[in-house]
Amino acid sequence: MANRIAAQSELSLKGNQKRRHFWSSENPVFWLAPAVVFLFLYSIFPLLFNLYRSLYEFSSSKKVWVFVELRNWIKLFTDDSRFINALGITLQYVAIALVVELLLGLLIALLLDSKPWASGLMQTLIILPMVTAPAVAGLMFRLLEHSEFGVLSILAYSTGILIKDEPLMGGTGKYALVSVLIVDIWQWTPFFILIILAGLKGMPLEVLEAAEVDGANWFQRLTRIKIPLLFGVITVAILFRLVDLFKVFDYIAIMTAGGPALRSESVSYYSFVNTFAQVKWGYGATIGVVIMAMAWLSAWVYQKVFHLKW
Amino acid sequence: MTATTFTNITNEQRQANREYQRRQHRRKFVEKILVTLLTLVIVVVFVFPIFYWARLSITPYKYVFTIPPRFDFPATTTAWWNVVMGQKSYSDVMLEQVGGNTGVGGAGTSGYDIRPRIVNSVSIAGLSTLVVMIVATFTAYALSRFDMRFKQNIVFFVLSTRFMPGVAVVLPLYLMYREIGLYDTRFGLILAHVVINLPIAVLLLKSFFDDVPRDLDDAAMVDGCTRFGAFWRIIVRYVAPGLAAAAVLCFIFSWNEFLFSLYLTRTPELQTVPVTIRTYDASAGTTEWGLMSAAGTAAVIPVFIFVLFVQRYLIRGLTLGAVRG
Repeated sequence: MANRIAAQSELSLKGNQKRRHFWSSENPVFWLAPAVVFLFLYSIFPLLFNLYRSLYEFSSSKKVWVFVELRNWIKLFTDDSRFINALGITLQYVAIALVVELLLGLLIALLLDSKPWASGLMQTLIILPMVTAPAVAGLMFRLLEHSEFGVLSILAYSTGILIKDEPLMGGTGKYALVSVLIVDIWQWTPFFILIILAGLKGMPLEVLEAAEVDGANWFQRLTRIKIPLLFGVITVAILFRLVDLFKVFDYIAIMTAGGPALRSESVSYYSFVNTFAQVKWGYGATIGVVIMAMAWLSAWVYQKVFHLKW
Repeated sequence: MTATTFTNITNEQRQANREYQRRQHRRKFVEKILVTLLTLVIVVVFVFPIFYWARLSITPYKYVFTIPPRFDFPATTTAWWNVVMGQKSYSDVMLEQVGGNTGVGGAGTSGYDIRPRIVNSVSIAGLSTLVVMIVATFTAYALSRFDMRFKQNIVFFVLSTRFMPGVAVVLPLYLMYREIGLYDTRFGLILAHVVINLPIAVLLLKSFFDDVPRDLDDAAMVDGCTRFGAFWRIIVRYVAPGLAAAAVLCFIFSWNEFLFSLYLTRTPELQTVPVTIRTYDASAGTTEWGLMSAAGTAAVIPVFIFVLFVQRYLIRGLTLGAVRG
């Protein structure tokens, strides 16, 4: 006993004095250094690179970088209707997907939480879309939305939602964005379902029972107790979906390639077209800076507003 | 007191009570059936695309594009799987399926063989996961245990790399890789997958380390372990399930990754499975639905099996430890 007390006091003494040798395993630098180096490669380096190269343009005929001052930036903000179009489409995409996924997720989570038979099995099945490779999911839905043979298209024609001249994919592109949104909603509604379900499971039962005893009906219990208590998990879910939706690329590349008539071209896809299809690397880097700024800023503001902690 | 009230209940009241409870029971039962049916419909909607895709991979060509669409399994074949698994050549199968020269021809056995790509994908996902786990375990432990300045900033820095838009990163990475000769190498792609998965693994593992009480470290160090000894001999053993879950998740993310795999490789031998499947699209002027579905099914089945083991941790992984499912 006495030994242990002595040891403890020695330990706390050590802590108070903060006498650490540099070459000891108490030094966090050694623990953190490898990861920070790796992450530097993935965040700071691309940012600096894009910033630097946004002042240049790559001449593919001469194979050299030409200094163009701020022309890329001026073009981007004053003279690029295609970028504005892509920005609008991205915002539309983010807003629609987020609202639909959140509402659907909430409803289905409440259903699953009201204890149907085999709810465990159903939960497992509902995970599957989420872990399907996005590229494969895009192909799956390209088949389902095929303008002639697609099951979804045929369903839509027979119920009169769509007409054959204006199919989901192709045509004038009126529904091109919808066709991509369907995949996103299919893949990521389960994310909201599971996250809200986790929140519902951790809910204090006494509170709900007390409300029931006090005569609150189902709807009141939902809006006055459950949803406020779910606020925390929902903000986290929205944060992750928000940043991922901003960078939507896979589905568009697989399904519509931004078309028809640019009606499903997101900012990410536009940046990709510039850099890889048209070899305008300098301009692509400029858009890259904007996308990074958008993603970082939205995440940072969101995190500050909702006081998220890790 | 309770006894007197009990004796005051008449037989009629008792009867009524029993009747009431029976009715409540029946209502609950009906409610449960309705809820189950409704949920079942929703689950079917979510699973249907996968089912339809897998069905396509074992259905002969002439039953694939029918109006109205069919959902049964007529004349189940392994034709597409034979091509994808390199057992038969594509043109042979087309002859079998369509019964004539399709004018596609050309592509031999090797052109569609998915097996080398699966091996490639497994090696890339496996090696990158290994590196991620080694690096992330140390970092996560430090972020969980040490009191240091700028800790919140470091955590947010790690978090913010998770938010990096891929297309904005892939161009600098692509140009740098071309400069230093990593472009179109397996090592380069593994490195890219490491940095993609690192923030996820670090923060997820941090949440697992946070679950282990600090007293355990202190006890180990009182007993004579160094900090590293406490970490290696004690704490890592406690988070072993978490490590396994994080590793499986990183493997899945790397396996499914598309953008970087597409742009950091060029030779077919180095392409991962999702990228390869995309090349079946319009590879000879037509969209090879049969082949894409067979290869796509081959790509998703292992993931479905893996995810069964980490179901519990999936939400925790996707939210980087913020929500504990």
